[in-house]
Amino acid sequence: MLFLRLLIDGIVNGCVLGTIALSFTLIYSTTRLFHVAHAGVFTLGAYLVWTFLGLGLPGPVAVVLGALCCMALGAATQQFLYTPLIERRASPLVVMIASLGLLAIIENAIAAIYTPNILLFPPWWGKDIVQLGSVPITYAQLLSLAMGLLAYVFLMGLARFTLLGKRIRAVASNAFLAEIRQLDPKRVTIWVYAIGSLLVCLPSSLIAAEFGLRPYSGLLYLLDASIAMIASGLGSFTGAFFLSILLAVLQNLSLMVLPGQWSIGVTFFLFVFLMLFRPYGLFAHAR
Amino acid sequence: MDFFLSYIILAEIYALLALSTNLLVGVTGIFSVSQAAVFGVGAYTCSILTTTADVPFGLAILAAAAVCVVVNVLVALPSLRVSGDYFVVTSFGIQFLCTAIFENWVGITGGSSGLTGIPAPEVFGFHTEEPTHFVLMSSAALAIACVCFHLALHSPFGRLLAAIRQDELAVAAAGQNVLRGKVNAAALAGAFNGVAGGLYGAFLSFIDPYSFDMQGSILLVSMVVVGGVRTMAGSIVGPLFLIGLPQLLAFIDIPSSVAGPVRQLTYGVLLVVFMMFRPGGLVGRRL
Amino acid sequence: MSYLNVDSISVKFGGLQALDRCSFSVEAGRITCLVGPNGAGKTTAFNVISGFLVPEGGTVSFRDRAISGLRPQEIVAIGLARTFQNLRMFVDLSVLDNILVALPRPFGNEPLSAIFRPFKTRAVERARVGQAEELLEQVGLGARTHDMVRDLSYGEQKLISIARVLATGADLLLLDEPSSGLDAEALDDTMVLLGKLQAAGKTLLVVEHNTRVVQRIADTVLFLHQGRLLAQGSPDEIVRDPHLTEIYFGGVL
Repeated sequence: MLFLRLLIDGIVNGCVLGTIALSFTLIYSTTRLFHVAHAGVFTLGAYLVWTFLGLGLPGPVAVVLGALCCMALGAATQQFLYTPLIERRASPLVVMIASLGLLAIIENAIAAIYTPNILLFPPWWGKDIVQLGSVPITYAQLLSLAMGLLAYVFLMGLARFTLLGKRIRAVASNAFLAEIRQLDPKRVTIWVYAIGSLLVCLPSSLIAAEFGLRPYSGLLYLLDASIAMIASGLGSFTGAFFLSILLAVLQNLSLMVLPGQWSIGVTFFLFVFLMLFRPYGLFAHAR
Repeated sequence: MDFFLSYIILAEIYALLALSTNLLVGVTGIFSVSQAAVFGVGAYTCSILTTTADVPFGLAILAAAAVCVVVNVLVALPSLRVSGDYFVVTSFGIQFLCTAIFENWVGITGGSSGLTGIPAPEVFGFHTEEPTHFVLMSSAALAIACVCFHLALHSPFGRLLAAIRQDELAVAAAGQNVLRGKVNAAALAGAFNGVAGGLYGAFLSFIDPYSFDMQGSILLVSMVVVGGVRTMAGSIVGPLFLIGLPQLLAFIDIPSSVAGPVRQLTYGVLLVVFMMFRPGGLVGRRL
Repeated sequence: MSYLNVDSISVKFGGLQALDRCSFSVEAGRITCLVGPNGAGKTTAFNVISGFLVPEGGTVSFRDRAISGLRPQEIVAIGLARTFQNLRMFVDLSVLDNILVALPRPFGNEPLSAIFRPFKTRAVERARVGQAEELLEQVGLGARTHDMVRDLSYGEQKLISIARVLATGADLLLLDEPSSGLDAEALDDTMVLLGKLQAAGKTLLVVEHNTRVVQRIADTVLFLHQGRLLAQGSPDEIVRDPHLTEIYFGGVL
């Protein structure tokens, strides 16, 4: 039945969105800067994977290479753009404008080099289908579910069990103190950008293979993901991930009553609702 | 001569937009990437009123300004109440939502094909279909806007906005209402955008969603960044430079299929370069 | 019926209990000093009282009116204002502008009046400039009104922060470490200023680390530790208590 189809599709899309949200939450909760250029890294990942596939590389290799390139771009952004600005005591507004500029550069470079048309590459994993009761699930959808869960487990494990994770949490709560305790916040932050950027290449490739991607699509996905992140209370991987799934399910179910182009409106109205009724206000975290 | 006048008229219309973006981003410190959307709301409102409802231009443009004020206030009220990053997400969301409305509400906006046949008004006996007459109207509008901007900037209101930019908590501790200040800034910006929209439609006699999309908002931020913030001169120099930029780019042999992305890429480069090396713009104060 | 009454407020930051059912009260017309080791919750208490932080439990009342849950600017309008430990000056504005922001009842504070009634705006501003200049004279900054705040010394900026709370017209002033970072001469000037404020009828609640300052200006001392009120008394009683000294200095000295 339609409801079940939309529900399952929603959960699958939610895992993809959730991976984006996880990668962005990692970066945002550590730096408190809204790294809009992340949408550019996201998009670039898919286009690079497509290029590598075009060069004849096998699927998984192309994805790994693409992810490594994204990782490099993310780390370079932090090292060569954000860090110099922050050292010059630039306001967060200045950093965000620079990030916006970088996003424009990446997106338009992609559009100029690859044409602004939609990118859709044939998935190498084939069109196999698995039956879940009466509902068919494609291989790609299973991959999406796996990716989402793996990303979640990976980041939770990173945060809780590794030294880097502990350092990330320390820097996230107080970069100044972390500096004094010689935890080298700069290096930690570069790792954060690296891991976040690497991670976001995966959902990007899946989306490009399943739905297609345009050079300018990244921002809309990032917006969705950041709404999930903010709604879950910022800095919670679990919240961001599961709220992404909830959001995607709601968006999908809304297709039963709204035409497709308006499903973004659903997320948007939920966000406005949230902002009006969320109990804490402007000064709740003042110390 | 006509070509030069067109350049001047467009620069003046964009100067109106630059003044409002300057007020929001430069003076108050609000990261707004939805100014093009509001510009579009103004353009569509005025143009629809003058074409389908035969409303006189003067009334239509005032109506457009009023609608834009309302839109900006409605958006600002919930989103500026909480921390800055909520507003960033909202601002992107508004921009996308408006573009979706412009493209999909075909009955009212003409969808992707846009609106044609927008009349240029007769003002005090001047037939403004002629650029030589239209430029008088646009110059007058800009002059009035400059006076308003100057009065606002050098009043207690301007001082309040400057204080909000520097330290919101201190403003609250001084007994002032930060939210009211920001909403007022958004309202004033809306008025400017509405007037600019009305003039734009009347001048080009044709509008479509693609002048009012995310790329348009990035262009506006670039104008303010390049010209410089918190000065009136910056809001005039920025548009003069950036409206002229496509002509400069025409000297480089760029295939027409990538002209658009290359132009947009240039804006991104300008944003990054200016934020890194000249945050005060050409003739502004340090952002 | 006490002037400022803090009743069982609790605040938790992550795993840290910053205020633990903290209660104390402040009498009108007195200078009360809030002391305690770092992390005792003094600035947190200020943030709660002045409306910048919502506590998990408890209430604050000022002149018998519950103020918990009011926004900071509303609390200022009722007559309670605070300074910040890290000053929070508007560095891009002039000294005069910093005070003008805090003076109540401005005209031309929103676009319609600023644009359509410029003459009245200027007239009202002229009067307020006069008031602001007087205030700056009172704190000793009369000569620096048109200078940019970023060009002033730390001590001078501290004086502006006091002038700013005075400008709000508040009767209860919460001063967060007014003496820290000042040299001996500026310190003396500040203590004289605080005395003058009390003589003019203001009530002061002062977070202070400097025991000399506390002994010289305080009528009452409140000793906070681990988020609660541990002891209360005259400056002599508190400063001379060996148990409190050990907590404060951690056994050293």
